[in-house]
Amino acid sequence: MNNINFLVGKKTFKKKLLKPYDKEICSFLETFSSELNKVKNLNLYPDIKTLSFFCRAKNIEKFKKNFFKNNIDLRSGLGLVFHITPSNVPINFAYSLIFGLLTGNSNIIKVPSQNFVQIKIICDAINKVLKKGFNNIKKMIQIVRYQDNDEFTKIASLNCDVRIIWGGDNTIKKIRSFEINPRAFDLSFADRYSLSIINTQKLISLKSFEARRLAEKFYNDTYLVDQNACSSPHLIIWFGENNQIVKDKFWLNLSNVVDKKYDLTDDMSMDKYTKFCKEAFSNKLGSFKKYKNNVYTLNLRDIKKDIDLLRGNYGFFYQINSKNLKFLNKVINKKVQTLTYYGFQKKFFQKFFNNNLLEGIDRVVPIGQALNLDLVWDGYDLNKTLTRIIDIR
Amino acid sequence: MSKFKNHNQSPDLLKKKYIFQNKMYSLIKYHSKNSIDYGNFIKKTNYDLKNKKLELFPFLPVRIFKEKELMSVDNNKIVRVLQSSGTTGSKPSKIFLDEENSRNQIIALNEIFKQIFKSKKRLPMLIFDKKPNRNDSNFNARLAAIHGFSLFGKDPLFLIDEKNNIKVHELDKFLLKNKSKDFLMFGFTSIVYEHLIQKEIIKNMNKEFSKGILIHGGGWKKMENLKISNYKLKETLKKNYGLKKIYNYYGLVEQTGSIFFECEKCSNFVTTKYSEILIRDRHFKILGKNKKGFVQLLSLLPSSYPGHSILTDDIGEIKINKECECFFKGTQFIIHGRVLKSELRGCSDTI
Repeated sequence: MNNINFLVGKKTFKKKLLKPYDKEICSFLETFSSELNKVKNLNLYPDIKTLSFFCRAKNIEKFKKNFFKNNIDLRSGLGLVFHITPSNVPINFAYSLIFGLLTGNSNIIKVPSQNFVQIKIICDAINKVLKKGFNNIKKMIQIVRYQDNDEFTKIASLNCDVRIIWGGDNTIKKIRSFEINPRAFDLSFADRYSLSIINTQKLISLKSFEARRLAEKFYNDTYLVDQNACSSPHLIIWFGENNQIVKDKFWLNLSNVVDKKYDLTDDMSMDKYTKFCKEAFSNKLGSFKKYKNNVYTLNLRDIKKDIDLLRGNYGFFYQINSKNLKFLNKVINKKVQTLTYYGFQKKFFQKFFNNNLLEGIDRVVPIGQALNLDLVWDGYDLNKTLTRIIDIR
Repeated sequence: MSKFKNHNQSPDLLKKKYIFQNKMYSLIKYHSKNSIDYGNFIKKTNYDLKNKKLELFPFLPVRIFKEKELMSVDNNKIVRVLQSSGTTGSKPSKIFLDEENSRNQIIALNEIFKQIFKSKKRLPMLIFDKKPNRNDSNFNARLAAIHGFSLFGKDPLFLIDEKNNIKVHELDKFLLKNKSKDFLMFGFTSIVYEHLIQKEIIKNMNKEFSKGILIHGGGWKKMENLKISNYKLKETLKKNYGLKKIYNYYGLVEQTGSIFFECEKCSNFVTTKYSEILIRDRHFKILGKNKKGFVQLLSLLPSSYPGHSILTDDIGEIKINKECECFFKGTQFIIHGRVLKSELRGCSDTI
């Protein structure tokens, strides 16, 4: 086959099954984690740092305990997982691979065609670790890069037991035109929409270093991926009494973080401003305020059903005040994935979701954790979805 | 005039700027009354309509003309729609012109042209393009430029045939007849480049062009890929064809008519009484001379659509050259090229 780069694994690929959370798998990931820690200039890649932290022994042990705690049944991996990972997130593919491995599956991973340096760093680390042994794992990983090679996609699709497609609705549609085995299934992570809720009352008493810390966390949820990840918020609900001073402080703090950390390009400034003008013409929305060209905010008068159309990039936020959450019943649709929050107890949401049956929202996490990929994602528990039960009675 | 504490400009120019500012102010008020979209935009920008300072006037981003059909007159008054070529995959800009706006474009272009070329009579003219189809009411930037400039020429000869070949025979005849007196040559920069530099057909004819006055502009996107500087282009044309007078111009299809010619002596572009330029940083703060930033162009011509104050996708820089006589005519500036496209991160579509 032409134009295919095998970054990890050979062209001829035989799949191998191990038990979920098998010793060899866990040990491989731990070694991988320490290999990543040796990367030169690691500080330049916060995403690789996070990945290494994710694979550390303690965390894997925690996942393992969790798996066996919740699974009284005997479980086995499904076989071969074919992962199609998003083009514009450098390291999503690594998490997808880890989920496939932990559940005991073999994996073919198609990485973005764009040459992100992180991909090379991660694949180099995997290759180094595989040289130390791990003979079974060698048979469980094949990482490929290709563009416009339908033949590879076709064959991998036919051979796999699960196909994981990390979105873009258009990509999912396109990939679905390639047949899979009758027993196989698609796990597709489609385009999603996310929002935040902040308790204004709790912001009033924040010390300035705490307020800055909160702004940094919010920054990590949004600007790190140009506010374009499925779990990056586009809409902020200010909960409680309306308090302009508190809001201004929050946005100003954010703007300061952006000044320090974000590479705001001319193109981004233009894009945000053009988006603002488009919204301004329609006059459907309330007032507008920007904090340099770092942060744009648009007030909503009310929210209609298609909440997921309220979408910005590079730091463009819609906001609304609300004294209670009842209105969410009307506006939350299936597209909505993550609700990030500040100034609430977990209980508050447990009670709310117990009493209200919304169409969407699969995830409620504190601000700062929006992008933390986990084995529970988009409403699925991958521990279960990527394994099968052996039912013995 | 004490409002203007800018010592970098001559009193005459400051007076011109003062007049320009007042006219621009009226234009902003006019459009906010006559275009609902624009009126809404003005409200949202928090711009205070009492404020008459040029730097504080609101501006629309040039990309918005691709997104929205903007008009300040009734739909049935529109006589012509100007379209930008649009980069691949993007929508073209649409500019809606009524009778009056079209006429004013021609008047302004005529005046700007005469100031530079001073010639009273119409000169024989060569056009580096195909003959346009007259019945087409949808104009693009190239056709608009050809239409505008051909008014200054006498029996213009369209040099390129339908198969993109040079009409060698006609060119021969034209030069035989006109080579001893001044004649005009006009074309999009990329087309001039193609036929006078890349291809050698005209060069190999070994003809006399020393009386030719070449005007070229536009065609930016193609030229950027070729990476040839304006200076190099000019020098090569002078060397190969004996051309003595070459004028580059710069303008937006969104502000057709109020174009900027490069000064013959210092090579800076210069504003006219119809136009003004401001440079802004990426937070849209005003930048002074010799600083690169977004080019904001203001033009007094747009009346049927709100294109009078536009933040362009071009990066430029204001220059002050007091030694050159164009210093007394308007603001001097240079253009560096287009804003670079950013790659959007995030979990969107897979490639």
